[in-house]
Amino acid sequence: MDNGEPRTEYEGIAAAFAKAKAVKEKEEAQGLRENTADNKRAEVQFKASHGLLVAFFVWILLLHVFGIYLFTSGFLLTRLVLEEKSKCDFPPIPLTQGYESGSTERGCWHPKSFDKAVVVIVDALRYDFTVPFRPTPEDKTPHHFHNALPIFHEIASQQPNNAFLLPFIADPPTTTLQRLKGLTTGTLPTFIDAGSNFAGTAISEDNLVAQLRDAGKHIVHLGDDTWHSLFPGYFEPDLTRAYDSFNVWDLHTVDNGVNEHLFPLMHPSNSSRWDVIFGHYLGLDHAGHRYGPDHPATAAKLQQMDEVFRRLIDALDDDTLLVVMGDHGMDAKGDHGGESDDEIQAALWMYSKQPRFGRSSPNFVEPPPNAKTRPVPQIDLVPTLSLLLGLPIPFNNLGAPIEEAFIGASGHDYENMATVARLASAQVHLYQYEYSVARGLEASATSLPKRLWAQANTAWNKVKYADLSISIPEDYYRDAYASFHLYQTETLAVCRGLWARFDVPAMAEGIAVLVAALAVLGVYARGLTGDRAEVTPALVLRGSVGTLLGAAIGACVGYVISDMPFIQVIVLGAATGSFAGIALGFHYVRRRLQNPFPTTFWGALGVVFTLMLSVGFAANSFTIWEDAILPFYLATCGALFFARALRRRETVDRALGAYHSVLFIILTRVSHMSRLCREEQMPYCKSTYYASATSSTSAWWQLLIPFMLAIALPSIIRSYYVGTRSYQSSAPFWIGLALRAGLTLAALYWLLDAADDGGWFDVSNDAMKTARVFVAQVVLAIAYAAGYSTFAWSPPLLSIQSTPQPIVANGGASSIGILGYANVHGTRYFILVTLWALAIILVQKPMGGGAIGLCLWQILSLLEMLDATDMKASSAAIGPVVLALLGSFHYFTTGHQATLASIQWESAFVPLKAIRYPWSPLLVALNTFGAQILCAVAVPATVLWKVPPKQKGLLGDVAKATATHLLVYSAIGLATSMWAGHLRRHLMLYRIFNPRFMMGGVVLLVVDVVCALVALGGTRWSFLSVAEVFGW
Amino acid sequence: MSSTTATAVQAYAHVYPVLLLSTVALRFPALVADPVAFLSQSLLPLAVLQAAYVGICVVPAAAENSPGQGKPAPKKKRPGQKNAAAHEASPVAEAFRKLVPPLLSLLPTVLLGIPIMTIVIILFGAPVTSHLQHTLLLASHVALLAGPALVGTRGVDTKRWRAVISLETPLDEAVAAALGTLIGMWIGAVPIPLDWDREWQKWPVTVVVGAYVGWAIGKAAGLTFLKGRIIELE
Repeated sequence: MDNGEPRTEYEGIAAAFAKAKAVKEKEEAQGLRENTADNKRAEVQFKASHGLLVAFFVWILLLHVFGIYLFTSGFLLTRLVLEEKSKCDFPPIPLTQGYESGSTERGCWHPKSFDKAVVVIVDALRYDFTVPFRPTPEDKTPHHFHNALPIFHEIASQQPNNAFLLPFIADPPTTTLQRLKGLTTGTLPTFIDAGSNFAGTAISEDNLVAQLRDAGKHIVHLGDDTWHSLFPGYFEPDLTRAYDSFNVWDLHTVDNGVNEHLFPLMHPSNSSRWDVIFGHYLGLDHAGHRYGPDHPATAAKLQQMDEVFRRLIDALDDDTLLVVMGDHGMDAKGDHGGESDDEIQAALWMYSKQPRFGRSSPNFVEPPPNAKTRPVPQIDLVPTLSLLLGLPIPFNNLGAPIEEAFIGASGHDYENMATVARLASAQVHLYQYEYSVARGLEASATSLPKRLWAQANTAWNKVKYADLSISIPEDYYRDAYASFHLYQTETLAVCRGLWARFDVPAMAEGIAVLVAALAVLGVYARGLTGDRAEVTPALVLRGSVGTLLGAAIGACVGYVISDMPFIQVIVLGAATGSFAGIALGFHYVRRRLQNPFPTTFWGALGVVFTLMLSVGFAANSFTIWEDAILPFYLATCGALFFARALRRRETVDRALGAYHSVLFIILTRVSHMSRLCREEQMPYCKSTYYASATSSTSAWWQLLIPFMLAIALPSIIRSYYVGTRSYQSSAPFWIGLALRAGLTLAALYWLLDAADDGGWFDVSNDAMKTARVFVAQVVLAIAYAAGYSTFAWSPPLLSIQSTPQPIVANGGASSIGILGYANVHGTRYFILVTLWALAIILVQKPMGGGAIGLCLWQILSLLEMLDATDMKASSAAIGPVVLALLGSFHYFTTGHQATLASIQWESAFVPLKAIRYPWSPLLVALNTFGAQILCAVAVPATVLWKVPPKQKGLLGDVAKATATHLLVYSAIGLATSMWAGHLRRHLMLYRIFNPRFMMGGVVLLVVDVVCALVALGGTRWSFLSVAEVFGW
Repeated sequence: MSSTTATAVQAYAHVYPVLLLSTVALRFPALVADPVAFLSQSLLPLAVLQAAYVGICVVPAAAENSPGQGKPAPKKKRPGQKNAAAHEASPVAEAFRKLVPPLLSLLPTVLLGIPIMTIVIILFGAPVTSHLQHTLLLASHVALLAGPALVGTRGVDTKRWRAVISLETPLDEAVAAALGTLIGMWIGAVPIPLDWDREWQKWPVTVVVGAYVGWAIGKAAGLTFLKGRIIELE
């Protein structure tokens, strides 16, 4: 099995082949078809065992789905949605000063200040975009995004009674859909909705828009169409204009559309047609996603917004309130979704032509210099807007009225301030009461708010009994305001803690299922002797019957027990049944069982690396620095391979092994230079993935990378084929021609993209886009249509040639030799890896394409290394384990991090102009998990590289290697969920552990699918093709 | 060699690692405060100490243990005349004879060991665009810790070095100390990413400490329970 062996026995094998062929031909000529019949039977048998192996891995996928589903249903925040609505004539607490509730004309619970309002959301308006730049030691010179939108600060400081500007802090997750929910209902978001940004659903809770509609107001919406999925049918259909929100490449369509329809409505002749306008500008957010904040395009967008609001102020009438806000900020690269400071710090600006606003201290006239000073939570908008417009406060609201809006122009109207604070707090109190009745809250959680509520009421009642001759009422009102405010903030804090309310039993069930799945996989991968293809039928049969029976029993139990959600019971039943079934299966094949734990140095090494990674995810530092830890492990592996290679007796093995292990280490280090730092890594990390740390476009030199790939990558692959003379048959066509053409077109694609970004040519954006999309579609067609046809129908990469030294076969005078014999399985299968590499390279940014190219090169050198050191996956576990580490590592070199903000959503638009299901999510997945997918596709090659064509049990060995590869990902998936569950009260849960858990879970499922269907599934064609020539 | 000298040599062999480790421990604040200054100032003393140790303990012991193998190795570069000088035993020649092997052991250590270690450390993830001085000094310390004893016992014979790198040689003091140094460095890198905000987490303090501690432990292990074992890479 050594590399040298086929070459040294080359003549013998060639002779044997020639002999066999001659005999076969003779027999066939004589009409003896027995051989063929045998082959037919063997082929049918192969197809059956192959199908069952794929079924087994699909069944494993199912187990992982069960485990992750159960864990997720308990882990991701749940909050009971109360259906109650606040009523105009039913205030939460008796009103004072003889105010009568129930009139929308005067104001439901409190006299209203405005009749009409224009509420404008500027998506991703970060607070520091709106205030003048002040140099700090870290940041000495202004960036593009500074001082480009001065109007808010200008008016707020010059006319403090007409306007105010404040930092406006979002509750993470900072995705637009979640933020709109918070901004209209006044409640905290639950994490489970975070992933549903692609398809939002209607809000059923009480909210501002519903209250407006119930009060008979005419509501108009212009801009981002997310509003329509949240509030279907709420808006005036003839005035409302919605625009697609996900085309982040398009900076202007939405904004121009809003402008086009907003300004006519401001005209006095149209003022009776609407009461409230919600406008939503998306250009700034898209500029951030596409270019990053520190880019002239972002500055231009901010300047455009500045003009828009100057015009809007001119057009505004006296009774209309203007509210401008950001729904979230953006990080240094212009993305958002997480909870870093830059992502949560938005801006809020309110303006009125009437002097309605005030400041409680003269120091507050100037807007806060940064978002750390006097910030207000975003949910405070809900009670503020409700009371200003004379509406009831939505039932579930937890926010407080904003001081500047109610303190009066004098800045002393504490009576008004205390009155509105009392109303808002009373609504919070009512909601809390209803919630604790519905959910059965523990007394410990509610005791402090209860005490504060009593104190606040005492403070309020003091006003009534105060001796006004010796003290002024303002002081009492100020006290009452402070106490109500304290009650509200304390309740908010309690709720934040409470709604991180986890269903611990469901989480434990999920973990148990994942542990059991890991054990099953572990025994299957390492604890069985002999050919896995032989035992798998018994395992699949018992396992799947168990799953079905378990699901059925679960369904019955679910009808009887109503404590648990129905689906959860079924899933739990199915999982339990699966494990019972597979346990029977393992019992059935008990003679084949062996100790699954490693007994060799290399086996232990794989386990140790996996364990160290898994344990490391318990520490936030190791999770943050995963991108630097993985290359460290890979280099260690490479060094140990080097040591082992030097022990080889054969000079060829020694030289090849040493060369490829050193190459592997060097390529790891070079790939590691492609980095995208996460915020927590600062200041110890320098991003190189984009042109700069604050942009999301490529530098000019990065555009050269795809061209270099097109030149070099096919030649590199070729060099691994020519070593065994396998570069023939369809290999030159596919690798030398099609792959190279595909890579060249991919490079052209990224050039066109940069040309479009930079406006190099005087061609319309639309024409550019059409050209770009067409090029990308051609690349995908080459990869999948041409690539899969080649892979499915190509003969093995062999050719039969006359040799200089004639080898005379028995019974014939022909002298023949076979070229490409030594690696017939490996090279034939590897076509599949290269075609996936092409598609993955296309959807990566230029730098990421380079990283994937290096990854492919590393896979090839790993295969050579495994062969030279005699550690093919049929005997050793290390190959598939290193592939898993490699895939995880290149996840980071392709510009990703374990954060939501690092998802490159724009990759959905590489070959498409608009969102299309299911292609758009698949493209994003191909971009995000490209490295893991590529490495998973390469797993069978660790078995097949340089094996003799007729080696027994190859298919079973492929299954073994696949299971070993999956073991690493399932251990990491299990560990990250365990740590996320265990650290669920950790400060960094949503910033670090939860994103890593989500990544771990999704990666596991993606790799499961790819391993079962693409990799193991693909071996069917390569095996059939090899058997066509060599027989079974 | 007289018995008193032999006892003294043995005592020195035991005291030496303790001495080196306690120096690093005592001067740890200086290392943390300014790694470049500390590491560069201590380079020459380390080289002298290591060369002296090789001259006093390693080469004689190697010569004693395997007269056939150990002796010619360090002298390969300049065979003939020195062997002759050894027999004459004039005091000057004797001193010269004792000085040459240690000085020779430093040559490959410095010329080959330091560049190779620098590259290895960078390949394992050390920064390339900054801290090059730090990395170079770290590599120098590591090379000076592990190198001289290996050269002293193995010379510059390719086959024997291949056996060392592939760990196919029975472990002795020199190999175990070198292995310990590498493992110590590996473990020393682990605390760097932790968010403890300690001054000593900066590059390359922990790796230097790891190297020294690993070297001392490996040396002790090579003299005792690891002696003569071959590490299986199966």
